[in-house]
Amino acid sequence: MSDITPYIILGAVLFAIGVVGFLSRRNLIVMFLATEVMFQGVVVNAVAFARLHQNMDGQAFALFLLVIAAVEAGLALGMVVLLYRRRGTLDAEAWATMSG
Amino acid sequence: MSTPTAYLLYAVFALGGVGLYFLLPRGRDTRTGAGAIFGLGALAALLLVLAARSVAGSAQAASFYLFSALAIGAATRVITHRKPVYSAIYFVAVVVSVAALLVLQRAEFLAVALIIIYAGAILVTYLFVIMLAQQSGEPSYDVRAREPLLAVVAGFLLMATVAVRGSEIPDAPAPAPRKLAYLTGSGADRDAVRSPGEASPGARGAAPASNLRQGAPGAEVEESNTLALGAAVMTRYVVVVELAAVLLLISMIGAIGLSRKRVPAEGPRADHAPLGQVGKEVAPY
Repeated sequence: MSDITPYIILGAVLFAIGVVGFLSRRNLIVMFLATEVMFQGVVVNAVAFARLHQNMDGQAFALFLLVIAAVEAGLALGMVVLLYRRRGTLDAEAWATMSG
Repeated sequence: MSTPTAYLLYAVFALGGVGLYFLLPRGRDTRTGAGAIFGLGALAALLLVLAARSVAGSAQAASFYLFSALAIGAATRVITHRKPVYSAIYFVAVVVSVAALLVLQRAEFLAVALIIIYAGAILVTYLFVIMLAQQSGEPSYDVRAREPLLAVVAGFLLMATVAVRGSEIPDAPAPAPRKLAYLTGSGADRDAVRSPGEASPGARGAAPASNLRQGAPGAEVEESNTLALGAAVMTRYVVVVELAAVLLLISMIGAIGLSRKRVPAEGPRADHAPLGQVGKEVAPY
């Protein structure tokens, strides 16, 4: 058991809470907020591994993760606005026909 | 990790899953009280397990437990609250707690960047979209979750796998002195960096930092996290920086292309449509 084990477990817990939220909530905005919670778990893990290996790689990964999160938020929210304009609702089930 | 602790962790996660199941909105069946009891019990048990296994009992450990409890509790509220605005506000609490945890791990620059980018920029975008698109009252899709039991089971499996396998990580081997000085800046290792014979071919990232220090002879310059991170990003990962710039540009163009619409500049429809209906009648591209 290493120093960073609590951080790894915390990251896993945050990620799993995000997964549960993404799978179970029906509001498109809350679904994407859940993905942001998942990102937080990954950031905690990346920085913990940076400390384990005593170098900056993990922190650099976390920095680029912020870029990916910004890209994801921009595109996802643009999509949410588009979908809301088409159906007048934020319910993800309104697009259930897409599942075939 | 020894097997009993692994089983203990599974039990704690199962308890937390039960609490999460009760907390998720399920119309009239939602049992917030029971969910809160189960959830808080699981949280306390998780912290106890971690505290029992952890060697450190210092003030730093206390702040770790405080902020991780805050982060987990706020994350639970993000996915269980019925009003998206409150979910967004609770997400700010998650971000601030995670930033505090990053400070504990000597990642100060990332902590500040996380608060500025997430709580400052991304969250404001979310709030704008909530204001644009959220319907008044409590729509049915916020009151009833979709398959909460299956979602909780999936999350439990994922968490059990990752956390228990992840907790088998051995201690790190003794790192090279240069890298240690890079991260922590402890006295003896800083001397090792400063020595002239140190410049090895593999130490590309160290060069700018030692040059900076030599610019202030005699002064005790702290090895900062920002300096080290900047050196790593601008040397080893400079191609990734360029790729990130391209990615941001593509996403900006994509977001504009997704959400544009043709708005009639004049005409009877735009003037006489009731408030809130103007955008809906306009066909997107």
